[in-house]
Amino acid sequence: MSGLSLPEKQNAGAGAYVILLLISVYCLVPFAWLIIASFDSNPTQFIRWPTEWTVQNYTRIFTDEDGGRWLINSLVVVGGATLLVVVLAGLGGYALSRITAWWKLPFLYLILLVRVLPHTALIVPLYKVLLTANRGIESVTVNLFGARAAREIMRYIGLIDSYLGLIVVLAAMQLPLALWIMKTFFDGVSREYEEAAIMDGANMIQRVRRVLVPLAMPGLAAAGLFSFIFAWGDFLTPLIFTSSPELQMLPLGLFRAFLRVNSIDYGLLAALALVYLLPSVIAFAFARKFLVRTFSGGVKG
Amino acid sequence: MAVIELKNVRKSFGAVEVIKGVDIRIEDGEFAVFVGPSGCGKSTLLRMIAGLEDIDSGDLLLDGKKMNDIAPDKRGIAMVFQSYALYPHMSVAENMGFSLDLAKVPKAEIRRRVEETAAILQLTEYLDRRPQALSGGQRQRVAIGRAIIKKPAVILFDEPLSNLDASLRVQMRAELQKLHRELKATIIFVTHDQVEAMTMGDRIVVLNRGNVAQVAPPIDLYEAPQQEFVAGFIGSPRMNIIPASLAAKGDSTFVMTDLGWAIELPGRLPQDTAEQAGLGIRPEHVRLTSTQADFTAEVTLVERLGVESYVTIEPSGQQLVVRVEGNVDLSPGDTAGFMVDRQHCHLFAQDGTRIDLGGRP
Repeated sequence: MSGLSLPEKQNAGAGAYVILLLISVYCLVPFAWLIIASFDSNPTQFIRWPTEWTVQNYTRIFTDEDGGRWLINSLVVVGGATLLVVVLAGLGGYALSRITAWWKLPFLYLILLVRVLPHTALIVPLYKVLLTANRGIESVTVNLFGARAAREIMRYIGLIDSYLGLIVVLAAMQLPLALWIMKTFFDGVSREYEEAAIMDGANMIQRVRRVLVPLAMPGLAAAGLFSFIFAWGDFLTPLIFTSSPELQMLPLGLFRAFLRVNSIDYGLLAALALVYLLPSVIAFAFARKFLVRTFSGGVKG
Repeated sequence: MAVIELKNVRKSFGAVEVIKGVDIRIEDGEFAVFVGPSGCGKSTLLRMIAGLEDIDSGDLLLDGKKMNDIAPDKRGIAMVFQSYALYPHMSVAENMGFSLDLAKVPKAEIRRRVEETAAILQLTEYLDRRPQALSGGQRQRVAIGRAIIKKPAVILFDEPLSNLDASLRVQMRAELQKLHRELKATIIFVTHDQVEAMTMGDRIVVLNRGNVAQVAPPIDLYEAPQQEFVAGFIGSPRMNIIPASLAAKGDSTFVMTDLGWAIELPGRLPQDTAEQAGLGIRPEHVRLTSTQADFTAEVTLVERLGVESYVTIEPSGQQLVVRVEGNVDLSPGDTAGFMVDRQHCHLFAQDGTRIDLGGRP
């Protein structure tokens, strides 16, 4: 490029910007359609400026449809799974970082393999396992509390068609990556912090709460964010493991609204899609604050 | 007030014994330095005193009380880490006051003592900053402040100056010595840097492969190293060790070096001394001479530092270094004559122990 004169360079630069602009527009069009259509009183499958603006599409999610329940279900299940992943990955990642054992690396690669396998392929055996476990739990509860009480109890401790089962499965799928993130993170946290805390007189709980957790916040935020986003976007797992309408989550609600036979309600679908993607954006914005918080300076000069 | 005693202390990591029966007594208020090459066990020994490593066998006594199984924070010991390990999520004041906060000292009292400690260390204006907003020297001071705020009887330093640049290191050496005089605490300072050891310690403990090689004040180590290892470790450039054979010659000792020249040292050779030995001569105890040369050799390297110069010679393939005051008018390839200062020669037996000649002070 050094042989080019200044105007030629400027032309080349302008050309690059034009191409980049076209690519950006191409990528942004679906989002633009989504936002515009969700406020359009009569949207079509083509992008167009609405003749009449409305928030009816949004209110219908929560009045005509059971959108509020879907959202709460999604938040409870994905939030619960994320919390479980963060706690387990924090503790496990710390242990995996500090331990020296021959099985450490094989173990880490093994759990990563779980993450690498397409989870559609795992869903059938997983369902079989959970179903068997569920039957076991059910028979124990029926014996203990009788058939009627057992049905109520199973809603909370059952593994099929329940919050708990979904939380456990979603968390199990996100845990390997989170463990890797936390193990790598703790590898970079000097042991001298903990030893300094020991010398300062901190017991185990104080060391975890006042030194390790604050130090681990960027790692926990990263692990939590990835877990939340992957679990939030998961469609297949809630589809397979839940059947009751009262446990329906947002992606399934969206999917079923799309499948209705009579006609496609673009306004409702667009609004629902926006409601569905908003928590991911909020989670990202929330985690970003921790992700960028560097902790250089405590160790070394 | 604290006397530290180690009695036949041992430690193994798996099959490797890293501390092989160490006996040391460090007096109250003493500034003791543990020095040795990397892997000699000095940091492990320090961590055993702190309580961060268990003691496999032997006793650790503080003022006569056995401390082996006492929790680290109950020993009255503070430690400054090599990396400082300041908590990055706490301010300077919180870092220094953390141990008091854990001990449930009232907030006002913590504030008072943090300010008092900060004043000693000239950190008052930085109390609200985070560690990452401080320079290396300031972080070092915060780490010291965190250690001294509980007024410990013993302060342990684990290579605390190794992360500082050279000029700051010299300054911190002086500050630490001043602090030691003010606090009157017993200090153990671990370093691999013999200059730090020589300049700071009241007494130096030289460690080699998990054993104590010698415990002595700095100048004694320099003038009368009890082992060839200590002779080689203390002093820079290293002491020259020349293989030689010894023979008694009346009241003096005849030393025939393997390099083909001989000198006669004052003092009687002890009986039953093996014939083969090492002749140790420090670079500053060999002089350039044109008239009374003990030997001549070709110069292979001249390093001029201004205040002194180091001349390297390689007679018969053995490298020797000679220190000359100021500049020197020699260049590689020149041949020069050298004379050995007989008052400052050391003899070491094949097993590395010192041979003292009789009738010498």
